[in-house]
Amino acid sequence: MTSDPRHTTPTWDPNEPTTLRRRGIVLGSFGAVAAAWYIGWLIQPVRVGTWWLYFPLIAAEVFNMTQAVGFWWTVSSARTAPTPAAPAIGYAETDVLIAVYDEPINVIEPTVAAATRLRGGTINVVLCDDGSREELRVLAESYGVRYIARESSAGAKAGNLNNALAATGAPFVAVLDSDHVPEPHFLETTLAYFDDADVAFVQSPQYYANHPSTDLAGAAWEQQSLFFGPIARGKDGLGAMFCAGTNVVFRREPLESVGGYPEGSVTEDFELSVQLHERGWRTRYVPEVLVKGLGPESYSAYVGQQDRWARGCLAAIPTTLRARLPWHLKAQYLLSSSFFLTGWTFLVYMSLPIIRLLTGHQPIARGEADLFLVHFAPYFGLALLTVSIAGVSGYTFRAYAVMFANFWVHIRASLAVLLGVGGGFTVTSKEGTAGPEPGAVLPGLALILVLAGVSLWALASSVDPSTLNNVGFALLHLVVLVRGVLPALRSAVVTGQPAASEQMSAGTTSLSTEA
Amino acid sequence: MRPISGRLRSALRRILGARAPHIGEQLFVAAGQGGAGLGNLAFSVVMARMLPPEGFAVLVAFLALYLLIHVPASSLSAGSALEPTSATRHRWRVAGLGAAIGVGLIAAAGPVSAITDLPPALVVAAAAALPGAGVLAMERGRLYGRRSHGRVVASLLAEPAVRLTVAVALALTAGALGASLGVVLAGYVALAVASSGPRRPVSAGDTPATGVGGTIIIFLLVALVQNQDVLLANGILAPRAAADFAVLSTLGGIALFAAWNIPMVLMPRSAAAEQQAVGTAVALAAAVGVTVTLAVWMLAAPLVGLLFGERYVHVAPLAVWYVGAMAFLGIARVLVAHRSARGRIWTTAVVVTVAASLQAASIWFLADDVLGVVTATGAATVGLTAVLGVVVGMEQRSATAMDVPRRTRESSLWRTLVPLALITATGFVVRVVFVTRGLWLDEAITWSQATMAFGEMIEDVRFGDVHPPLYHTVMWAAVRALGESEFALRLPSIIAGTIGLPVLYLVGRDSYSKRVGLVAATLGVVSPLWVWYSQEARMYSFLLLFSLLAVWLQIRVLQRPRAIYWIAFTLTVALMLWTQYFALLQVATHYGIFLVVAWIRRRRGRPVRGLLVGVGISLLAVVLMLLPLAPLLQDQIIAYQNRSGAAFEPGTPAAGLGPAAEGSRTYRLAANVIWALTGYHAAATMEQLAAAWPLGMLAGLALLGRGPWRLPTGVIGAAAMVPFTVLFTASWLQANLFEVRYVIVITPLLIVLLARLIDTAARRPSALAVALAVAAAALGWALTDQQTNRQNPRIYDFEGELTAIARDADRGDLLVYQPPYIDPLIRYYAGDVRHRPLDHGVPELDDYEDVYLLAVPNLIEGDRDVQETVDELTGSARVVEDPSARQVLVWRFR
Repeated sequence: MTSDPRHTTPTWDPNEPTTLRRRGIVLGSFGAVAAAWYIGWLIQPVRVGTWWLYFPLIAAEVFNMTQAVGFWWTVSSARTAPTPAAPAIGYAETDVLIAVYDEPINVIEPTVAAATRLRGGTINVVLCDDGSREELRVLAESYGVRYIARESSAGAKAGNLNNALAATGAPFVAVLDSDHVPEPHFLETTLAYFDDADVAFVQSPQYYANHPSTDLAGAAWEQQSLFFGPIARGKDGLGAMFCAGTNVVFRREPLESVGGYPEGSVTEDFELSVQLHERGWRTRYVPEVLVKGLGPESYSAYVGQQDRWARGCLAAIPTTLRARLPWHLKAQYLLSSSFFLTGWTFLVYMSLPIIRLLTGHQPIARGEADLFLVHFAPYFGLALLTVSIAGVSGYTFRAYAVMFANFWVHIRASLAVLLGVGGGFTVTSKEGTAGPEPGAVLPGLALILVLAGVSLWALASSVDPSTLNNVGFALLHLVVLVRGVLPALRSAVVTGQPAASEQMSAGTTSLSTEA
Repeated sequence: MRPISGRLRSALRRILGARAPHIGEQLFVAAGQGGAGLGNLAFSVVMARMLPPEGFAVLVAFLALYLLIHVPASSLSAGSALEPTSATRHRWRVAGLGAAIGVGLIAAAGPVSAITDLPPALVVAAAAALPGAGVLAMERGRLYGRRSHGRVVASLLAEPAVRLTVAVALALTAGALGASLGVVLAGYVALAVASSGPRRPVSAGDTPATGVGGTIIIFLLVALVQNQDVLLANGILAPRAAADFAVLSTLGGIALFAAWNIPMVLMPRSAAAEQQAVGTAVALAAAVGVTVTLAVWMLAAPLVGLLFGERYVHVAPLAVWYVGAMAFLGIARVLVAHRSARGRIWTTAVVVTVAASLQAASIWFLADDVLGVVTATGAATVGLTAVLGVVVGMEQRSATAMDVPRRTRESSLWRTLVPLALITATGFVVRVVFVTRGLWLDEAITWSQATMAFGEMIEDVRFGDVHPPLYHTVMWAAVRALGESEFALRLPSIIAGTIGLPVLYLVGRDSYSKRVGLVAATLGVVSPLWVWYSQEARMYSFLLLFSLLAVWLQIRVLQRPRAIYWIAFTLTVALMLWTQYFALLQVATHYGIFLVVAWIRRRRGRPVRGLLVGVGISLLAVVLMLLPLAPLLQDQIIAYQNRSGAAFEPGTPAAGLGPAAEGSRTYRLAANVIWALTGYHAAATMEQLAAAWPLGMLAGLALLGRGPWRLPTGVIGAAAMVPFTVLFTASWLQANLFEVRYVIVITPLLIVLLARLIDTAARRPSALAVALAVAAAALGWALTDQQTNRQNPRIYDFEGELTAIARDADRGDLLVYQPPYIDPLIRYYAGDVRHRPLDHGVPELDDYEDVYLLAVPNLIEGDRDVQETVDELTGSARVVEDPSARQVLVWRFR
């Protein structure tokens, strides 16, 4: 027996709701009308209040509306065809590459152990060590798996995998991060999709098994569940699923045809997907939890992960724009990569009430502000309803709040990309920290103080409806920020269960014995 | 054969179970407290007879100062009841502190004497009491903590005993000064009794309990709630009104004094996790509170006259409400003691602080008379008690579920019923106490119809009304049973509005959980619109009750399709339609929900035949029950058309979001939503409330992912929103159709959804307590503003104006009024004054001594008639009284 959360039964079914497509069409239809009604009202010249506030607001609203419409379009396209049961051509040979950087042994060992129990043809498990650690070689030997280390660490994870690809030769290649424990039928299920000779890779969900253990891991998982639930199913329906870096099986031929993983990007998986789609390959998504991994348990780890994703995806925008892709694929890629500009819109939204309360300037003309509610509410309500219904209640306020509170990560990443300031590949830490991490949320804390201070100052001056309305907005942002930074201000364990890292430490000995 | 007393004891043990010892010790100490109270009263009576009036006045002032010293000091009792060794540890320190303050008081004896009108010698006497006051409180607390209740009672009784002997003897020789010294001596004797007997020494191994300091602070905060209203009233009211309130405050002290020691007896039991002790203590405090309140209710006028003199008798009607408020505070002290003893210091302190702050803010900003101060204090104590009661009830439940073996769970009913009964009782009190307006036109129509012969009333409903006759019939009977006073006319609505609270609990319980039910019912207590219509002698409170019942019964039918639920649902639906025709919207929604559910179930392959048969039979039965209504409805429609569609009831003024907003359907929508949630307010307040709409976005975000979609949520949402939306749509045809009171069930249903949101957002009891306190405080504030802000456009002071006319008018005077249909109000309040509508012509002033002109511009389509009349009469007469800017205008011409 072990207490590692990766050995527990998943509590999430990405196939829910089964009527996603129909719900998406209905909600999207109403949503599009509401969006048009709102933006049609907003962009009239008579609405312009202070122009230097109005245009940022318009930009933010147009951006978020594009994301919302994109979301409705995506979920309305969810695939309805049944998934194949087993490959008609039988099971071929597969290399299972486990990418390791500096993760602790107790994180890696369950992955290696589970990989040796995979079913589905001839399977070669390879431990790809980017750090030349002797203990990993011993671990590989103890499980009878191949151990490949390399001298340099050039190209980070992409370089590590390319190094292993060069040393192996099976027609199929499965890639697992070192903390992702596969189910025994992982390959049986995914390989069935390769009956279609045009399929380059099959992606499965990235499930965070430690999501019940901490507030932060829970929030991070809820964000993931929205992507690997309705969004990934919609992308699958549109043929636009991209590689998520782990829990994926490639056909070797297309992978080698593009020269393996691109080593110049921190989100090598994203750029690889663009290249494969450019060459006409198809991609698929399996809506079933086949691998169970660990989400970030410390706030600093979460921030690092978001920073890496944001930098990688934003840096991929020019590549996507240049790529020769069908319009719907290009649009899907742009929707996904530009998502990491959302932080800018949050900054705009938070700034507006502060500026209004301090200076009296407001983006929308006086006398029009109240009508704003009438036009905005249906659009906002339908957008929330779609997320709630499409996400089968998996996406909650805390997930949104944590994303909101990390608006500055998006801003920093986009500035870094714009200025060409590079950042190395960082592996998301899977170990929790015992104490608070206020340093990881300093921008959020600063804004909380500003919002509170400005609101109190304004209330001391006046309680007229206009001031109260802006204080209401400030309070809205303040509460969301407070909820978002909360996981960083209290000890990691909040749900009564020990953090995953603690559970794994307790379970490592017994696991080693089993092995 | 056992003696009778033994058998009686056994029987009591069987009935009371594990509560027997709790009840016994509480009653024992309460008896001691009662004895001490009577003894002290006897001392006052003896002194009143013995001392000259000026001497007695001085003694009373001294006793007030003495009490001022002891009330805050008694908070120390709570600390040492929780941690008995603290009394031994700190008694010399506390005595020293008291002595230092005493020295300071002696040094300041001159100024204090000047301020209090006490002779300096008595100030020094009071200072002499200071070193012992804190120690006495701590020593008594120690005895409670050690459960030495015999010695507590001895200490309590020692005080009046010394007063009645030594103090009386000293009074004989040295007058008020002697009596005062005797009082101080009595305190020290009580301290000596409390300190005597064996005392366990403090050992090195004794670790101080946590939360002692916090407990003391919490009890000080409660003392603040008890006393700050007097201070604030002194600040904001005129001297005469402040004196009136001081009388009420003194009477309120009786209720608190009677239940003073119950929390102290409870604390060691709660600290030892004896689950049932708190229920016993709450029940006892409630019983004491009810007894004292009833006694004051019956004896208020003679009691005030006897104790304070005839010049204060006019405040007697308010005494019952203030004493009731203090009775609630007595219960709150018990709950505070329990939570403190269980270590829940922080959240308890937050709740009490919020209550104290709201009380202070309400008094300071909203209250402008004695009633306002009483209302604010009542809202604070009732709200505090309700919030604490719900939280403690929930904690008791979870504690039972976790810790208590199955065999003792028979009392889970007790744990649900006690908080629910408390909530319901609180709801009743709020609905009775917070009546701040006289009858409105529609209510006077109710009175007018109810006082007719039954057949005549039905004919009046048939040809002059637009409502079904069920409510009229109830009122016809009620008037004959209860009389025609405002209270009697409103009592049926109050009762219906109160019964709605447990029904709301049932909706919450069967839709989500007991916790949601209790939270919802708690919020329902202070829901402004609900309270408003619970106090109106119209059918809307009945409509709310039946509508809510229908929602609950439909949920039950869909969850457990038993015949009893089908029958009850069908009868309730029929009652709704016999109460208000607009109920048809909700009834249609219910049957629509049945059909939608049947469709969904069929798609999922589940049997639906039973459901469809039930719907068919129910619908048929409803139609049959409505058949007798058909002829009446037909006549009402014809009569309505013959009146050329003129609304029988004047439209309620569009007191919405300010002048710019009135008339806009969008803003009528916003106004109705705000009314549903926060009640009726002045236009400026409505604008402020509407401006807070971004918080609605926050609620939307907070609802993200709150559990899977539930059938009850669908029923609640549809029952709330479909009729509301239909009426909104219909307002395109006729604007005055869109009034929230026609679909008033939206208010409790929104409360259930709010309770659900609070429940899911605040899982831990401490978080729940804070969230509930915030929500209850917000609603409480809205309720207070609705009830007390005279700028509320829904408040028409017909009562004030007409009773003044009735009081001042002579036989030769005439009252003319506009519009004519306020005739029932004129007859109700000024029936003895000669009166006629202005429509009959402008009166000749020579024919009368004085002419009163009463007009309500908001109810008149342009007030040209009134203005012309005023101009005409002004030209030929002297205006004795000219109206200020009010809803009801009165001119007096001579």
